[in-house]
Amino acid sequence: MSEAFATWVAIVGIGLTGVVTRLSCVALGERLQLPPLAERALRYAPAAALGAIVVPALLTSGEALDLSLGNHRLPAALVAGLVMWRTRGMLWAISAGIAVFTALRLAF
Amino acid sequence: MSGAAAADPRARAFAAGARDILPTMPANAAWALVTGIAMAQSGLPLGQGVGLSLIAYAGSAQLAALPLLVAGAPVWITVLTALMVNLRFVIYSAALSRTFKVLPLGQRLGLGYFIGDISFVLYLRAEERLGSPAERARYFMGLSLVLFFVWHLASLVGLFAAASIPREWGLDFAGLLALVALLAPMLASRPALAGSAVAAVLATLARHWPFRLGLVVAILAGIAVAVALDGRRRSEP
Repeated sequence: MSEAFATWVAIVGIGLTGVVTRLSCVALGERLQLPPLAERALRYAPAAALGAIVVPALLTSGEALDLSLGNHRLPAALVAGLVMWRTRGMLWAISAGIAVFTALRLAF
Repeated sequence: MSGAAAADPRARAFAAGARDILPTMPANAAWALVTGIAMAQSGLPLGQGVGLSLIAYAGSAQLAALPLLVAGAPVWITVLTALMVNLRFVIYSAALSRTFKVLPLGQRLGLGYFIGDISFVLYLRAEERLGSPAERARYFMGLSLVLFFVWHLASLVGLFAAASIPREWGLDFAGLLALVALLAPMLASRPALAGSAVAAVLATLARHWPFRLGLVVAILAGIAVAVALDGRRRSEP
């Protein structure tokens, strides 16, 4: 399987996850009742997935852990998270994070 | 309510939906723009970025899967990661099916395809004051179609505009910041915070595991911890 082909397969697969999850209960109507345990697991899946994706991406450069002051993504993400927490405005959060990242990049 | 389409309550419901989502459009367009830019700047070829955007129609899943796509991770890991982020749609789907189950299957599928975070929240807020399921369906479509077109337009603008932005500006980092912004409010609940933290630590420690299996183990462990804590909280008096 060529790399480009594999990427396309993955892209279609990602698309299918959206279609299958969105249509799941709507398509099955009354035949699918979510048990409470499943509903809880579904509710927490995004927080777990986002934590598992975001944090390693922030803490590493390439493959190695990078907790040095040269890692500008870490303070930028902390600021973005705090701004989001306070304002609930995604636009503000991303802008603040980019501002911190850019300021640190230009300063050091 | 404006009087232009006053004759047909369903047309009025559609117009009300389209109007109610307008205030969220600047933020949604910006989020789509960031997603488009992040995809284009990640190193993914433009054609694949456009394909991913049009096929997936799920910003957070796209951004979560993006580094895995670029790194050439195994297809099933990439797809499973996107699935985890998209699993919240099952809950939305279940909530919508309570009202929409009386509609014909074709119509239900048409509605379901457009499920998204913003449209779902706005719909639930308005559901009580809307009439028949048919009216509710039109209202949902009013919300959803505006969101759909604005999202895709802004995402494509981001994808094509990004070609002229230098890589060293680090705008691919905006995609990661968008995920941070998405995650931050979720952490207000203690089980979610614990589950997310466990998943984050495990994913960091297990990042060298072959086939990115560490990511899958980390997510599943995080969900298990969150569910266990949630269950314990419920069983307490």
